Amino acid sequence: MYKKVLGLFYFAVALAILISVLKITNWLPGVLQEGAMKKYSSIDDVRSKLKIKDLHVPSYFPQSVVWPPSSIMAQSRPYEAVFMEFTSARTGDVNLIISQVSDRGSINDSKISLVQVKEKTAYPLKGRNALLEVGLCKNDIPCSRISWHEGTSTITVTMRSTPFELLKIADSMLY
Amino acid sequence: MSISNFFNSSVGMYVAQAFSHSLIAALVVDRAIQAWRISSPLMRQRFSLIVILFPLVSFPIYQIMDPERGSLSFRLDTLFDINRWLNLEIWGLVPVSLLFIIVLFVTSLVFLFQEMIPIIKHTIETRTSNSAEEACIEHSLVSRALESLPGEKPSVSILNDDELILFSTTGKRPTVFVSSGLVEGLDTDQLQAAIAHEIAHIARNRRPLLVAVFIMRILMFYNPVVLVEFRRMVQEEEKICDDIAVSLTSKPRALAQILRKFNHRKEEFDIDRMKEILKLGEALEDYSHNVHLENRIRRLEEGNIQKIGGEWIKFLLTLIVIIFINYFVV
Repeated sequence: MYKKVLGLFYFAVALAILISVLKITNWLPGVLQEGAMKKYSSIDDVRSKLKIKDLHVPSYFPQSVVWPPSSIMAQSRPYEAVFMEFTSARTGDVNLIISQVSDRGSINDSKISLVQVKEKTAYPLKGRNALLEVGLCKNDIPCSRISWHEGTSTITVTMRSTPFELLKIADSMLY
Repeated sequence: MSISNFFNSSVGMYVAQAFSHSLIAALVVDRAIQAWRISSPLMRQRFSLIVILFPLVSFPIYQIMDPERGSLSFRLDTLFDINRWLNLEIWGLVPVSLLFIIVLFVTSLVFLFQEMIPIIKHTIETRTSNSAEEACIEHSLVSRALESLPGEKPSVSILNDDELILFSTTGKRPTVFVSSGLVEGLDTDQLQAAIAHEIAHIARNRRPLLVAVFIMRILMFYNPVVLVEFRRMVQEEEKICDDIAVSLTSKPRALAQILRKFNHRKEEFDIDRMKEILKLGEALEDYSHNVHLENRIRRLEEGNIQKIGGEWIKFLLTLIVIIFINYFVV
C-alpha cells in the first residue's frame, strides 16, 4: 500500500513538472519572436505595437453588439493577422468576429462557423467584389459572413444574425 | 498553400496535434511506468498502445466534443499550442514548420524502408515457401523437444545454414524455422525453449487485435513518437513470448542460454565505428539490439517474470490524465 501511494505521489510530481514545462514551452515563442499571436487590450495598442497601419474598424455597430471588442488577438509575424471578437448585449456570447488577415496567410477563428451555407453570392461593397454567405451556425442559429480583399489583406466579417446588420457593419468599415 | 498555412488547415492541425498528443502520451506513460515500477511486459505493452492509438482519434474526438477548441481565444489561453512554435522563423528566414515537415518526411522514409518494405518482403517469402510445400525435416532432437510441449504443435523446418537462425511464420500452416547451425549447438531443453518462444509468436500473431494495432500504427507512419513507441512495443512482445515460453517449458535458463548464443557476436559500442557516418546507424542499431538481448537474458536469469494483476486502475488513471492534458494541447 505504501509503495502504491508513493508511486502515485511520484506520478503526481511528474505531471506537475510536465504541465510546468508545457506552459514554459508555450510562452517561449512569444519571447523568441516579436509579433507572435497574442491578446491586446485595445485597437490602438495593436496599431502602435505591431505597426499595422491599415486596420479596418467599423464605425457602425448595431445596439445588439457591445463595443469595445471583448477580445483582440493579433500577430505581425509570420504574417499580419488581426481578430476582433464582439459579444452580444443580450446573451454575452461572441456574436460578431472581424478578421483582417494578410493574403500570405490563412487563419480562421472557429468561434463562429457556418455549418450550413444556404446562399453564396457576389456582393458589390463600395467598389469591392465581396462574397456574401448566408446560412446556419450550430443549433440552427442564422449566421452570415462577408469577405473581400482590401490592399494586401482579406477582411472577413462573421455574425450570428441575418445579413441585414452584417452588411451595414461591413459598409461602415470602408470609405 | 504555404507550410505555415498547411498547419492552420484541418489536415495540418490533425498531423501537428497527433504529434503533440503522442509525445505527451509517451512522457506520461513513461513516468507512470517508472512511478509504479511496472515491469510486466504485457502491461507495459498496453501502456504503449495508448501512445500509438490515442493520437489517431484524439483530434477529431476533441473537436466533436468542443468545436470551439480550435478557436483563437482557446489556443491563446491553452496549455500548449504547437502552432506558436511552427510559426517561428529561425533568423527570420527558415520557418520551424519547414523543419517539422522534414522530420515527418524522414520518419515516413524510415517507416517505409525499415518496417513496411521488410514486412511485405517477408510476407511474399512466407507465401512462396508455403506454396512450395517445404517438407518438414525429421530430426530426433526436434522430435524430442516437441514431445513434451503442451498444445498444438507447429511444423518445424530445419534450414541448412551454419548461421544462427530462428523464426516462425503464421499463415495457413504455422512453421518454426531453425537453422542446422543452431540445432547442432543446442541441447533438447534449449531447443524446446526456442520452439516454445516461436509458438508464442505464432499464437499471438493470430490475434486480430495485434493486426488491428499494426494497421493503426501504419496510419501514424509520419509520427516519430509512434515510430519509437512501436519499436518499444515490439521489444516488449519478445519479452511476452519469453514469458509464455517459460510458462510452457518451465526452463527460463535454457531460453537465456539460447539468447546468449545470439548475443555472442556482440560488438562493443565502438567509437571509431561511429566516426564513419554511414556506419553510425548500423552501429546504433547493433548496440540497441544487444542491450535489448542483455535485458531479456537478465530477466530470465533473475527469474524476474511476474504475473500481472491490479494494474488496470493505474492504466485507467494514466489514460484519463493523458486525455485531460491533451485536451489543452492544440
